[in-house]
Amino acid sequence: MEAAVRTSGLRKEFRGTVALQGLDLVVPPGSVFGYLGPNGAGKTTTIRLLTGLLRPTSGTAEVLGLDVASRPDEVQRRVGYLPGRFVGYPDLTGGEYLRYLAALRGGVEWSEVDRLADRFELDLARRLGTLSHGNQQKVGLVQAFMHRPDLLVLDEPTTGLDPIMQAEFLSLVGEASRSGATVFLSSHILSEVEAVADTVAILREGELVRTATIPELRAQVVRRWDVTFVHEVPADVLRAIPQVAEVRVRDRTAHLVLAGSAEELLRTVAPYGVENVETHETDLTEVFLRYYTHEEEPWRVA
Amino acid sequence: MPLPGTDPGTPFLLRSVYLKSLRDVRHGLVGWSIGIALLVITESLIWPSFRDMPDIEKLFSQYPDYMQRLFDVSAMTSGIGFINSELFTLMLPVLFLVHAIGRGARLVAGEEEDGTLDVLLVTPLSTTRILLEKAAALVTGVFALGLVLYVVTMTCSLSIGMGIGPLDALSGCLSMVLLGSEFGLIALAAGAATGRKSLAVAVPAALAVAAYVLYVAGLLVTSVDPWQHLSPMEQALASGPLGGGLPLDFLWLALGCAVVTVATLPMLDRRDIAAPG
Ligand SMILES: Nc1ncnc2c1ncn2[C@@H]1O[C@H](COP(=O)(O)OP(=O)(O)OP(=O)(O)O)[C@@H](O)[C@H]1O
Ligand SMILES: [Mg+2]
Repeated sequence: MEAAVRTSGLRKEFRGTVALQGLDLVVPPGSVFGYLGPNGAGKTTTIRLLTGLLRPTSGTAEVLGLDVASRPDEVQRRVGYLPGRFVGYPDLTGGEYLRYLAALRGGVEWSEVDRLADRFELDLARRLGTLSHGNQQKVGLVQAFMHRPDLLVLDEPTTGLDPIMQAEFLSLVGEASRSGATVFLSSHILSEVEAVADTVAILREGELVRTATIPELRAQVVRRWDVTFVHEVPADVLRAIPQVAEVRVRDRTAHLVLAGSAEELLRTVAPYGVENVETHETDLTEVFLRYYTHEEEPWRVA
Repeated sequence: MPLPGTDPGTPFLLRSVYLKSLRDVRHGLVGWSIGIALLVITESLIWPSFRDMPDIEKLFSQYPDYMQRLFDVSAMTSGIGFINSELFTLMLPVLFLVHAIGRGARLVAGEEEDGTLDVLLVTPLSTTRILLEKAAALVTGVFALGLVLYVVTMTCSLSIGMGIGPLDALSGCLSMVLLGSEFGLIALAAGAATGRKSLAVAVPAALAVAAYVLYVAGLLVTSVDPWQHLSPMEQALASGPLGGGLPLDFLWLALGCAVVTVATLPMLDRRDIAAPG
């Protein structure tokens, strides 16, 4: 099956600033793809290139097997799009706004709109201008989902949603994915998409720094151990252990970052007289933040 | 232009970009119509007392020659001449231009600055189709104002006895519609080309002033004469515009509208759409 999204050498410059430097991305069909990165990484730029709102400086983007630059309308028919900052017509009610977009798209079943509005507890009789930010965002989500698109492209979809609605959104994403749609969603934080994403790509300064499945990332979970010795810390011995990624010494305590099994560490340090071992729980977020903040390659699993 | 397969529950004015664009202007059109109607009625009520003033012709013969031609003052002793010089040679053209340019700027640049254009563009509709429907809605709105102007002018003329015939009023109103449409479409074009509402207003406004200067200069300086015919202002106003018949110049205005529209259609495909916010 063809990729839902395939870009090759996709590059975008804005008057001198390079927003995206030669992106090569493949999103498998039917997957939920989390597109992550810090502010200014190029997430929105990528999404606007995929939806045909921006023209690439060079390179190509294919969506559902169609070249975006040459066949934008066919792409736009099959895509559901939520902009990073969704804005509807403030003088229309939610219902009127969705009726209008449904008329332009054609082939929208109104019962689907009602179902989605129900799920989000959205009052379609209220004018968009009078809705809170989060409730406007729900209207944006409904218009993206309502025509049951083959590909959903959602730019920071959960902004403004309360935790209950975030959970509702994630379950909708799961349902769309199970019925065969591909979901491409951007976010700043891994924990937000961890539960639904099959694959995540991490973008930094316009470059892809990592593409991985969630299990692959989990394998990279690191732990922090503080090991206090009776005498001096055998720093060189600790550094020689492959699973120990980082060693910082303060007095008689070694602050270790451990990736993978602790077996060899325990065996090695025992003869040196260990007074205390303290472990700190860590999660995927820590792995992930490394990609954001560190210039060098993050830890690898030994 | 409702699209096929539209759900019957959809309100009529939300069934296409064209209808939605008309819906957006409906309140504005009512306001503009009332304003224009009041203006025409007021001037018409002044007319009888003006007509009965003694020595009026002597007063006008002292006006400089270009003033006489610009405001058609020599003809001011007739109903047509009076309404022409009071309304159709400056006041009404300005009102039609302000309305049309404001609309033209809002249709694309306004939506882009508001951020609503994003979702509208990511639909199966082509940008060409969207621009065409918006241009059609713009012209429809200006035409509706022209129709109101026609009805009010004829009603006033008949009830006060100003002697403005149906054809006289037609040429006057048509020239307002064509003039407004052309500059409104230029605003739409500038907005589609730049995405900036300020430019979408500034470009047609500057062009309108330039066209007016060229028209007036043509009346003042004979060497300008062949060039002034390029001015849409001269094309719209020189013949009367009330009672000017249907001059060939109107074809140039219509052609101008068509050329600007055709030039606008591919513009959104040629540039990046600004992100909302
Ligand atoms: N229209 C524009 N003109 C100039 N520079 C731009 C434009 N749009 C984006 N950029 C620049 O491109 C880079 C990427 O921006 P982009 O909006 O894609 O980031 P992002 O990953 O979506 O960030 P955020 O998480 O803050 O939404 C930034 O440096 C930004 O300043
Ligand atoms: Mg963004």
